[in-house]
Amino acid sequence: MSKRKLELDKLLGLETRDALRRALQHSAVPTLAQIQPITERAASLEPAMEEFRLGIVRSYTSDLLDPWLDLAGALEGLDVKTYHAPYGLNLEEARAGSNLVTHAPDITLMLLRREDLHPALVRPVVELTAGEQAALSSQLLDRLFAIINAFRTHRVGHLVVTILPQQAGPALGVYDPQSERSETTWWSALKAEIGRRLHVAVEAALFLDLDDVMAQVGRDGFFDPRLWYSALFPFAPAAAREVSRRVVGLGAALKFPKAKVIALDVDNTLWGGIVGEDGFDGIALGHEYPGNAYLAFQRRLLDFQQRGFILVLCSKNNSADVEQVLNTHPHQVLKPEHFAAMRINWDPKTDNLVALAEELNLGLDSFIFVDDSDYECALVRRELPQVEVVQTPARPVEVPYCLDQVSRLELLSLTAEDLRKTEMYAQERVRRELRKNAKESGGGLNSYLASLEMVMTVGIDEPAPLKRLAQMTQKTNQFNLTTRRYDEQQMRRMIDAPNCMVAHFSLKDAFGDSGIVGLALFDLSEPAVAELDTFLMSCRVIGRKAESAFLNALLKLLAAAGVREVLADHLPTPKNGLVTNFLTDHGFSVGADGRFRRNLNATPPLPDSVYPIAIEVATAGTPGIRIGEMV
Amino acid sequence: MDLFATIQQVIATTLKVSPDKITRETSEKDLVAWDSIAHVNLMMALEQAFDLYLEVEEFLQLTSVPAILQYLRGQGKA
Repeated sequence: MSKRKLELDKLLGLETRDALRRALQHSAVPTLAQIQPITERAASLEPAMEEFRLGIVRSYTSDLLDPWLDLAGALEGLDVKTYHAPYGLNLEEARAGSNLVTHAPDITLMLLRREDLHPALVRPVVELTAGEQAALSSQLLDRLFAIINAFRTHRVGHLVVTILPQQAGPALGVYDPQSERSETTWWSALKAEIGRRLHVAVEAALFLDLDDVMAQVGRDGFFDPRLWYSALFPFAPAAAREVSRRVVGLGAALKFPKAKVIALDVDNTLWGGIVGEDGFDGIALGHEYPGNAYLAFQRRLLDFQQRGFILVLCSKNNSADVEQVLNTHPHQVLKPEHFAAMRINWDPKTDNLVALAEELNLGLDSFIFVDDSDYECALVRRELPQVEVVQTPARPVEVPYCLDQVSRLELLSLTAEDLRKTEMYAQERVRRELRKNAKESGGGLNSYLASLEMVMTVGIDEPAPLKRLAQMTQKTNQFNLTTRRYDEQQMRRMIDAPNCMVAHFSLKDAFGDSGIVGLALFDLSEPAVAELDTFLMSCRVIGRKAESAFLNALLKLLAAAGVREVLADHLPTPKNGLVTNFLTDHGFSVGADGRFRRNLNATPPLPDSVYPIAIEVATAGTPGIRIGEMV
Repeated sequence: MDLFATIQQVIATTLKVSPDKITRETSEKDLVAWDSIAHVNLMMALEQAFDLYLEVEEFLQLTSVPAILQYLRGQGKA
């Protein structure tokens, strides 16, 4: 993409990091002399910078990335502290007490080259038959995963693995994709396998595809042969900027509260013009400029939905005008079912955002607000600073890309639950209506809950949903007794440990499957005592007695295994007010030490029938419960 | 600004040292901060400040203020 000239004075006058990032996204790569004042300006803006610790393990020069990493950090509000491991693919750094481990990175970036992974790769891969290429790939993968696993045994943060693209095009040139020995085809298959193995076998690790960076900046814009052959530094400025932006962006996604919701304005955001003034036929949305840019943006929003973000509408309009477009405009991509909730009225947008957060049972800090209006953006920034504000660009051609560099929209993991999220929230909208009807017809909560025909499946110490279990400890803020965060490695250790019980549940009802929505961690180190380390539940199933049924089912299991006392804590945070009375409501009493206890002899678990939920417990293979040993 | 003053500023900014550490005689051997990595940055910064394209051979030669001054004068930048 060709870029606008960088106007330093204008840039330095911008007042938000969002505006700075956007201006840089569409302007030429800054010079080294320009980087410094831009970094300083970005660092000085609100909110204050947080520390982000980066470790780099590399087989080529990485030190020259520093100014770009600092710039990318300042633009995100992150103060980047970078440690470059000694040059070379050095497994010494993967040992306890190494400089890397001591640096305690949030992310360890591995900058590798193909030839590091197999000595045969100094020669053309097209020399080999398809069978020989497959054998080479398999050896290469073994070596790569041996390296990755060596680092994964220590706490070096999230691992981000990269392999430098080839400076030259494919071995067989233009003909390459035609050949059965094609280098391009071999490489694509290998990358897919790297991604697959990282997903299934390595916790907290990600393959960052530098080929995509090269696709974005172009091969000529990616490599500077002078720097490569004189200093073993591959990146031309455009690539250095983009690689740094992506790595630091993952840091932002890791360090800042998880984004969950994209709250969209409609006029001059989903379409050009104002439907209330320009009319149904007057808005720009279709195959001609500028309507085609808005069409592309709507199409792009579906991609974000596939990443697991919920779309909601927040618009000042007559709702009938907007609904007419959503339902009947021939070029409208996003239909009512794509939105988990809507607020289309004349109330202040800040009130509507608060109402949307309440309706969805999600914190405002999980919202990204997208609006073209200076006034609305400034209002939300001032009144609801926890909401991230992205101003829709005034130039239609920039609109389709306006969320592409929002780092909190990058994923570190993607679960089956994420993919179905909007659907699940839409089901929740139907449940809410049913509940309202039940209330109005005098049937009350119990008849409503019974009509849901809920089935809860409880799983104990199952490794399969590991990513989701770790993710829930990271994301759940409201219904969470202790708000203890665990990464995938820690979760794996607890699942494997005989003195820990890791219990989760999923919930199905007449409207659909909520997936895994609850987690409890018990420490069983003491005989006959179970200590509740974590008890949390996703807010999307609140109000259905699932938390009570889940706790009761677990207490039954523990009682059967000989546990006589359950010890628990409530650690209050600004967000978990919801669970203040949870323990005392469930037979626990608080002691002089501030901890909560429930004696299972005096207050035994209840029969399942008291809950409006059928409960299935999968107890097979539950090493966490050592029946007999504990009594 | 005269040529030396501009060079002085570019070097000071790139190496993150005080400008008074850089005289008309300074060479890479005189400054700890002027290491091989910083040298690459300095070459980039000179290119950008003087709108030049430097060849790798020139990277290897431009390792002192006198060499840089002489080169830039030769490019008609004085």
